[in-house]
Amino acid sequence: MSAAVAQRPAAPARPVSRRRRPVGRVVVLLLLLAGGLVFASVFVYAALSAVKPADEILANPMRWLPSQWLWSNFALPFQETPFARYYLNSTVVGVSVTVLNVITCTLAGYSFSKFTYRGRNVLFLVVLATLMVPLEVIYVPLYALVFDLGWVNSFAGLIIPSATSAFGIFLMRQSIDGLPDELLEAARIDGAGELRILWNVVAPMMVSPMAALALFIFMTNWDSHLWPLLVGNDAEHQTLPVGLAAMQANNLGSGGIPMMMAAALLALLPTLLLFLVLQRKFVEGITMTAGIK
Amino acid sequence: MALTRTAPGRARTARARPPAPAASGWRRRRDAVGLLFALPALVLFAAFAIYPMLRVFQLSLYDYNLTSPPVWVGLDNFTFLFGDDRFLASLGASLFYVVVTYGPAVLLALVLALGLNTRMRGSAFVRLMYFAPVATSWVAVSVIWRLVLQPEGLLNQTLNTDIPWLTSSTWAKWAIAIAAIWKEVGFFLIIFLAGLQNIPKDLQEAAALDGAGSLRRLRYVTLPLLKPISVVVLVMAVIRGFQSFSPQVVLTGGSFGTEVINLFVYKTAFASARMGRASAVAVLMFVLLLMVTFVQLRALRRSA
Repeated sequence: MSAAVAQRPAAPARPVSRRRRPVGRVVVLLLLLAGGLVFASVFVYAALSAVKPADEILANPMRWLPSQWLWSNFALPFQETPFARYYLNSTVVGVSVTVLNVITCTLAGYSFSKFTYRGRNVLFLVVLATLMVPLEVIYVPLYALVFDLGWVNSFAGLIIPSATSAFGIFLMRQSIDGLPDELLEAARIDGAGELRILWNVVAPMMVSPMAALALFIFMTNWDSHLWPLLVGNDAEHQTLPVGLAAMQANNLGSGGIPMMMAAALLALLPTLLLFLVLQRKFVEGITMTAGIK
Repeated sequence: MALTRTAPGRARTARARPPAPAASGWRRRRDAVGLLFALPALVLFAAFAIYPMLRVFQLSLYDYNLTSPPVWVGLDNFTFLFGDDRFLASLGASLFYVVVTYGPAVLLALVLALGLNTRMRGSAFVRLMYFAPVATSWVAVSVIWRLVLQPEGLLNQTLNTDIPWLTSSTWAKWAIAIAAIWKEVGFFLIIFLAGLQNIPKDLQEAAALDGAGSLRRLRYVTLPLLKPISVVVLVMAVIRGFQSFSPQVVLTGGSFGTEVINLFVYKTAFASARMGRASAVAVLMFVLLLMVTFVQLRALRRSA
């Protein structure tokens, strides 16, 4: 009793702050953790299904753990389908598209930011306006164009139409805007050419936005399904999404489930790992997309 | 902390630039080099964005099968579409998908963001679990959800139900929406968290000093300040929703009332080789998206 009374005067003196009721906050966080576990359970379920014997996967009642851990299931996609080929194609296309985007967007961003030629603002606005037009609206004539160019079922068709992006140009322009003009002038007075300035002065200071752009483009491209389905749907050019969807269509029975789960997990692993390592950049990229529209 | 760099967009773009100094010959040569830097991107845009954009309007007035020359048909493609049950059904399927997926996804993201907007230890880890699906590809995720949605799959076993999720016209559209909510919540969570971090802390503290409880602060400080970003989120949600393609392809192949508009365009153009009619759908989709964006931005301006 006396202890409680002794404590009471201390309470009102405490400043009003967000941490006034830490218990409530802990409860909220625990609830969110429970929800997060529900979200994560889908991945866990897929991973455990990938290492189960086929007949245990849809057993009723369900058992989370396999009776024996068949790690060899992860070899199945490579043995029974051209999975390595899909992987290679996705990597080649993803890396090429990313590198080309970083180059074209940095060049254009620099141009729109630090030069004053006639029509510059109009050109930039036209570029921005294309943000309003998703691929889904233009892919029929785009396909017709690529068809006429003879690029159907070729890496050119998979890579070149995606080699630049309005979002990337916008991002690079915004970032380069932050560079003081004096810096460029100083380099110019030292006699550096424009390309040299770009390479030696601008680029080194733009590594961070370039990395955010690269990550964003690579992840978008890794996810790309519709366009590669149109222009890369032969055995030599199928990327992971196209190949995976084809595998799924050929394996509707339960016998193929471990292989499909293994394949799906292997397919999502690179971007998931990139995300875990570069979380900040990833978040930055997504927030930037919201800053435009 | 990672979320503080957000949406510098409009303010920066609109900022007035200093007037160009009087052009000397040297200056003009330098600016010509500058234009050259933009050239690769501009050529790519002209060929692979602007030309197809103009062409889609043109093609919508033609009958075109890719191999023989286009034949002018006027507005026939459009009149056909408005009488075509399959097109109208796909429009309905897309609207259903947009509303039933993105309504709950955006609301859930908002609630999660309010809860996760804290520096408390462990919150970064909890965020990761919601973010992770965003970093994965739609096709891979759909392959996984095909298993989750089997009659004996995880969902039925957890709910203790026996629903034929993927093979019934009643359930298939809900099944796809559930999978898509799981995939998309994290995306909007990221944006809402960024929006919350932009709200000045002193506003919250001032309201707290005035005696406002946490619910009142939410109602009168936080939510009103989140309004602009919410409109952005809604515009993005509608656009993302109309782009949906992969989950329908992998989960149902478009059967059981899940042939969304994008899948309808794909099948019209590439299974039936009717490029003109498919272009007409694309034009309608474009007009619809523009209208939605416009209406939502107006709503924002009126409330601001």
